[in-house]
Amino acid sequence: MTTYARQTGRTVTLPASLDEAVAALEAMPAAVPVAGGTDLMAAVNSGLLRPAGLVGLGRISEIRGWQYADGNALLGAGLTHARMGRPDFAALIPALAAAARAAGPPQIRNAGTLGGNIVTAAPTGDALPVLAALEATVVLAGPEGSREVPVSHLLTGMDPLRPGELLAFVRAPLLHAPQTFLKATGRTGPGRAAASVALVLDPARRGVRIAVGAVAPMPLRPLEAEAWVAGLIDWDGARTLDPEACTAFGEYVAMSCIPDPPDPAEGELPPAVLHLRRTVAALSRRALGRALS
Amino acid sequence: MTGPDAATATPSLAGPAAPADPPAEGAEDSRHGLGSSLPRTDAEAKTKGVFPYAADLWAEGLLWAAVLRSPHPHARILSLDTAAAAAMPGVHAVVTHADVPGETTHGRRSTADRPVFAHDVVRFHGEPIAAVAADHPDTARLAAAAIAVEYEVLPPVTDPEKAFSADPLHPDGNLIRHIPLRHGDPDAVGDIVVEGLYRVGRQDPAPVGAEAGLAVPRQDGGVELYLASTDPHADRDTAAACLALETDRVKVVVTGVPGAMGDREDAGFGLPLGLLALRTGCPVKLVATREESFLGHAHRHPALLRYRHHADGEGRLVKVEAQLLLDAGAYADTSSDALAAAVAFAAGPYVVPNVFVEGWAVRTNNPPSGHVRGEGAMQVCSAYEGQMDKLAARLGLDPAELRMRNVMATGDPLPTGQTVTCPAPVGELLKAVRDAELPPLPSADDEEEWLLPGGLEGSGEPGAVRRGVGYALGMVHMLGAEGHDEVSTATVKVLGGSATVICAAVETGQGFTTLARQIVQEVLGVEDVTVSAADTDQPPAGPSARGRHTWVSGGAVERAAKMVRTQLLQPLAAKFGMSVELLSIADGKITSYDGVLSTTVAEALDGKELWATAQCRPHPTEPLDENGQGDAFVGLAFAAIRAVVDVDIELGTVRVVEMAVAQDVGRQLNPAQVAARIEAGVTQGVGMALMEDLRAPRGVIKRPSLTGYALPTALDAPRVRIVALLEERDVVAPFGAKAVSAIPVVVSPAAVASAVRAATGRPVGRLPIRPQAAVARPTGA
Ligand SMILES: Cc1cc2nc3c(=O)[nH]c(=O)nc-3n(C[C@H](O)[C@H](O)[C@H](O)COP(=O)(O)OP(=O)(O)OC[C@H]3O[C@@H](n4cnc5c(N)ncnc54)[C@H](O)[C@@H]3O)c2cc1C
Repeated sequence: MTTYARQTGRTVTLPASLDEAVAALEAMPAAVPVAGGTDLMAAVNSGLLRPAGLVGLGRISEIRGWQYADGNALLGAGLTHARMGRPDFAALIPALAAAARAAGPPQIRNAGTLGGNIVTAAPTGDALPVLAALEATVVLAGPEGSREVPVSHLLTGMDPLRPGELLAFVRAPLLHAPQTFLKATGRTGPGRAAASVALVLDPARRGVRIAVGAVAPMPLRPLEAEAWVAGLIDWDGARTLDPEACTAFGEYVAMSCIPDPPDPAEGELPPAVLHLRRTVAALSRRALGRALS
Repeated sequence: MTGPDAATATPSLAGPAAPADPPAEGAEDSRHGLGSSLPRTDAEAKTKGVFPYAADLWAEGLLWAAVLRSPHPHARILSLDTAAAAAMPGVHAVVTHADVPGETTHGRRSTADRPVFAHDVVRFHGEPIAAVAADHPDTARLAAAAIAVEYEVLPPVTDPEKAFSADPLHPDGNLIRHIPLRHGDPDAVGDIVVEGLYRVGRQDPAPVGAEAGLAVPRQDGGVELYLASTDPHADRDTAAACLALETDRVKVVVTGVPGAMGDREDAGFGLPLGLLALRTGCPVKLVATREESFLGHAHRHPALLRYRHHADGEGRLVKVEAQLLLDAGAYADTSSDALAAAVAFAAGPYVVPNVFVEGWAVRTNNPPSGHVRGEGAMQVCSAYEGQMDKLAARLGLDPAELRMRNVMATGDPLPTGQTVTCPAPVGELLKAVRDAELPPLPSADDEEEWLLPGGLEGSGEPGAVRRGVGYALGMVHMLGAEGHDEVSTATVKVLGGSATVICAAVETGQGFTTLARQIVQEVLGVEDVTVSAADTDQPPAGPSARGRHTWVSGGAVERAAKMVRTQLLQPLAAKFGMSVELLSIADGKITSYDGVLSTTVAEALDGKELWATAQCRPHPTEPLDENGQGDAFVGLAFAAIRAVVDVDIELGTVRVVEMAVAQDVGRQLNPAQVAARIEAGVTQGVGMALMEDLRAPRGVIKRPSLTGYALPTALDAPRVRIVALLEERDVVAPFGAKAVSAIPVVVSPAAVASAVRAATGRPVGRLPIRPQAAVARPTGA
């Protein structure tokens, strides 16, 4: 007897609309959605995952672009990193475009999607700190209709994706102000973030929002540092800060994200962690400096 | 051994800033023969993706193998139950230690300390325990996972310094080899003394292709092993011994090698496969996952190196003291060779009257170490060059000048007492890189074009970037050392207008088949030369390592070709009453010096097939004695590299801008190949310097994947500028050529470290350089 046949039982559906995709998942709850496959197929190839069926999202044109809705952009989950990296998108949400350009080598960016990046929720997911800084929300489509949750609730697991649900859109504010995304990696060529920061200015709310990626399971928001620096900026004037203030901000952010151990008896942080903290400080300082220049 | 032409030293030193356009030697204006840049025979197939690698092997009715590997670095196996696995549908056989019919241990260099399958204890994470053959790879993997093993987890010994006092991890003990080297006056002291501690991490050879093999049972009870072996005869002998077969019943056929920076786990593949094929009577194939590859194959020896250099007030070395500790992992493998190189080259290519070294290779529960090119020599180069930088800093001397005051030359002794008889143009090499023009600093307007450390979309900031320039000199031996019988045999046949070379030298990507073609083209003037694939039906040629095949196999091919040439020309010469020396062959035509005779090779052959077999065996070497003394090496190669790096001193990110290389090549047999080998070696060295370290905390490899283990990408690979290739022919080497691949790997990491020191002012004692070691306080501005 042979066990070879086991492989052929796999079903692949290629729905053309979100509704069809939701229906396909409902019909086969064991099936797994696949967008670019750049995360999923790595797990399949290494034998970690053997999905009973696949629902391909690549033909759903409604989630491959974006539209505008009340000062927000409604971004399709199927937008690829390559698409988001282009200048027209960069004019809308510069930090997300910068993150998309940094998310792996070109072959991966041609296939990998915004939705996949969010659902994978890797600590090093490059879109995630940007979405956290933007305070974006995600629109989830499921058998019971659609619902909207803050991206942070999804990432922290406070409000996870339910069975049968698909990530359809990301609602992100259009802030019409400078934004930066900076990523430190171990090599000059494409690599996963050792640390990353996304910083956005929100002149309407007179806010500076920064999220730090890769240093924790999900992006961290140093709210006090944000409020402190926002209070220093002359929002109606030149919107500049002196270098010392930028440096202090960087250190504030870094100390909040990588604090000293509460009990001094536990000793100093290891050198690699101290270096990570310095890296976060330098990136935050540079990010703010560039956003204000 | 070589023709009279090889005895003439013809140094050709390109001008300081001259481009790397290597001038062809002598009359090599034709597009073939030695000295020409004949494209590699495998280039087209590899570029098109049709080159058959071992993973592409197929046989009718084959079964798939999977290996059960230890999840623990150190554990006692209390029980092993294969019943559930064997009962799974689709499973044809499960084999363990109990099923090995012959020798149950094997190893390289006559130390058979490694079990085919672990039975009583496992000594490293990933050690094979059992293997399964099934009709589908998934079934085989599931069955391997279904083998019930009860472990008593033991504390792993992962700090090589603790190996000395730890309980023995193996019946052979924890000390694999100790070499003390004593040379000169132990009481000598210098005016200036600098000390340093250096560490080298674990580099993985990371072959690009999947590691794979196929075993096919034979009618006569024997087995054929299709492996990407780099030493087919050794692998055959191991397989025969462990499978209890006569050697003529085991045939190793070499299949497409997926890149070989060192040994792969060939025996570890061949043995389970052979066993399963014999057991099931079916062909059995194994393709290692990337994870298995990382766990199973040999890595570069991690090293801990303590140095004390004494110099006089002028910076001339007085004494070098060193303690070298190599982490061998659980089994000896080639560690004793690596240690010999480390000890012998501990002071580098410098004249040092007094050298005292203690070298140890010790057993631990860390991932296995073995042959990765430049082994031993690379680790110490990073340390002695670090010491030279320290000395220069202490004396306020330019680092290049300090080195220049100490360089070795032909005729100087090594600390092993062996006199360097081959060309050793160390000073010229250093001068060439020192005088080469520096790459320009990016100007403010082309900031866009400036690839900052950290990458294209990175976070680098020009204001935080410092440029550093560093130097390193290094040396490596060619061929096996310490009395290894270095021999290769080749057969050359000519029939009609074409020739065939039969030699078991494995083409690992180093270009041997191309070289063999060039040699025959040169000697016999025949354009159409085929090099047959290597297998163990041919006489042994030895391993593909340390530039051996250019030397011994190339030498054997040349001799055989020359014998054929004599057979071909003798009758003609006799007929025309002239000596053979007055006839020449080129482009398939034979002509006499005066032009009277002109015929073609095909006509001269007159339908006959001529063939000859010859051996090449360089002069013997001897083991290092109890004082580390002895003529242990056949030949040495040298290089000087100047590294230019940009460091973001806040983030500690480093980009290597340029590596200027001056190398002692003896003679360029194929300039395009030489350049390619240097570029590849430098890139591997840059990987070692900046990112490659397979971390195994408490003996467990955490991220055995190409995501977890960063290799240099195209953006990380620096511009490699070959500023000089010194062609001073080595009179004892066939064609006067030296091995070219290993030396750039040996020297590049040290050069990068030196440049990072210059940029940051930090000591940089550890490779790869971690970002926290490359941060510095901004100076001045
Ligand atoms: C070589 C390489 C380099 C990489 N480098 C980076 C990098 O630098 N930075 C980075 O952030 N990432 C990187 N990645 C990871 C990956 O490319 C990204 O996370 C990418 O955005 C994933 O998108 P995808 O469309 O390929 O996801 P897929 O692999 O298709 O899916 C990933 C997961 O999300 C689920 N999913 C996908 N879309 C939806 C949806 N609409 N609704 C519900 N579930 C969904 C899938 O079921 C799956 O579980 C890299 C990957 C590789 C292979």
